[in-house]
Amino acid sequence: METLTDLGLYYSQNMGYVWEQFFRHFLMSAYGVLLAAMVAIPVGIVIARHARLSAWVISLTNIIQTVPALAMLAVLMLAMGLGANTVVFALFLYSLLPILRNTYTGIRSVDRALIESGRGMGMTKFQLLRMVELPLALSVIMAGLRTALVIAIGIATIGTFIGAGGLGDIIIRGTNATNGTAIILAGAIPTAVMAVVADVVMGWFEKLLSPVKGKKTDKMEKTA
Amino acid sequence: MVFKIIKKPFIALLLVTTLLSGCSLPGLSGPAEKTVTIGTLGTAESAIMGNMVRLMIQHYTDLQTEMITNLGSSTVQHEAMMSGEVDITATRYTGTDLVGALGMEPITDPDKAMKVVKREFQEQFNQTWFDSYGFANSYAFTVKSELAEKENLETVSDLEAIAADLRLGVDSAWIRRPAVGYDSFIKKYGFEFGRVFPMSIGLVYKAVESGEMDVVLAYTTDGRLEAFDLVTLKDNKHLFPPYDASPVARDEFLEKHPELRDVLQKLAGTIDTEQMRKMNHKANVKMKEPKLVAKEFLEKHNYFE
Repeated sequence: METLTDLGLYYSQNMGYVWEQFFRHFLMSAYGVLLAAMVAIPVGIVIARHARLSAWVISLTNIIQTVPALAMLAVLMLAMGLGANTVVFALFLYSLLPILRNTYTGIRSVDRALIESGRGMGMTKFQLLRMVELPLALSVIMAGLRTALVIAIGIATIGTFIGAGGLGDIIIRGTNATNGTAIILAGAIPTAVMAVVADVVMGWFEKLLSPVKGKKTDKMEKTA
Repeated sequence: MVFKIIKKPFIALLLVTTLLSGCSLPGLSGPAEKTVTIGTLGTAESAIMGNMVRLMIQHYTDLQTEMITNLGSSTVQHEAMMSGEVDITATRYTGTDLVGALGMEPITDPDKAMKVVKREFQEQFNQTWFDSYGFANSYAFTVKSELAEKENLETVSDLEAIAADLRLGVDSAWIRRPAVGYDSFIKKYGFEFGRVFPMSIGLVYKAVESGEMDVVLAYTTDGRLEAFDLVTLKDNKHLFPPYDASPVARDEFLEKHPELRDVLQKLAGTIDTEQMRKMNHKANVKMKEPKLVAKEFLEKHNYFE
């Protein structure tokens, strides 16, 4: 109970500061995922066409995923120094696997018959990709971005150890203060909320972009 | 064929790496040329002073600022300065860096210690050690104010008559420390305490407040001295080296932005140990963020006029 009143006191005093860190935390996570998308989506498309290459690339990103976050940050810190950029790069590396694998799966699971008919209509390779494969795979790719973002928000918390700021700063400060429980919660709750909201919003996008299901239900509702 | 396929992602990866290491991401970091990077330790005290330096720079110059927080120790601060990742470190303590970064013998005279670090940092590292903020975060023997009044205690030597009946609670790291540890204490002051209990430094405040200890060795700027109504005793025989706090900046950066020198000098000699203790109390016990504590202090003392 006392912790709750402390928590209220903390927020009433420091709301502006919490927002600032919240925003910074989100930016770090979002940059990491966006940069990873820039790399992983094209690579995913390429490996979807070259089955032998896919095994290699996916196991490489798998290996990256197994490195513990703290160790990853420590190693990157030696190469890139302290600060937010290093954290963004670590998040970039962790986001590669979910996005890459989902792009790969998304493209591979497009019905062969659709591709054949597209080809039959005289579509070029690029047209096939743009007009058939990508629209059909988009929701699966989105699911990859969703997973990546939720993971990134969690990992960004330990960015505080290399001086990057974010909500982790508040949590660590709580561990150093006299009665820090309330401060720890004050940092942990927004982090959890951010992850949940990101998951819900991205899930909504995913549904929106799903070409088959969305339209079917639309039509069914209209006819009903 | 395979090479062609591998090339593309490889180039993209290279692009991302160079983008990140060289440039800036909007909202996270500014352009390197016009940005001051301020490093602080994980303590509230360091965070408060770092934010003060930051707010002053933002107010008086048009430089952008960035904070690297939670640096693990004084040594980490020093390394970050040497590698150029940090331009200013907000809290450096004379006693710590004299032994740590410079690897010299401790000096007990505060003025002499300050002179030595100023000279040596300039010569060895091309860094400017500024005048102290005015507070020192050193060890001090601390008692409850009731005991101090009853036994009329002001200095450590005043404890001598009653020391045999007292329980002393100390930081377990301190006891065996060469030159300043318990052995040196006995040698210098010529008496011993009845019983000595080594413990984690974080526990000593509560221990003396609750009456489980009679005397503890505490940090002089800790906010809990304020909260628990404790009194520090004067180290009249100069056992402990001084730990006066100052900002330190890289000369290379000061040459590019000479206006910084004046800004940092404005903070010199303005915050005494008592004021720092109050600010630490606000941050650690009253849960106000160091940034806001710093801002409040600067506004209250008219630094922005």
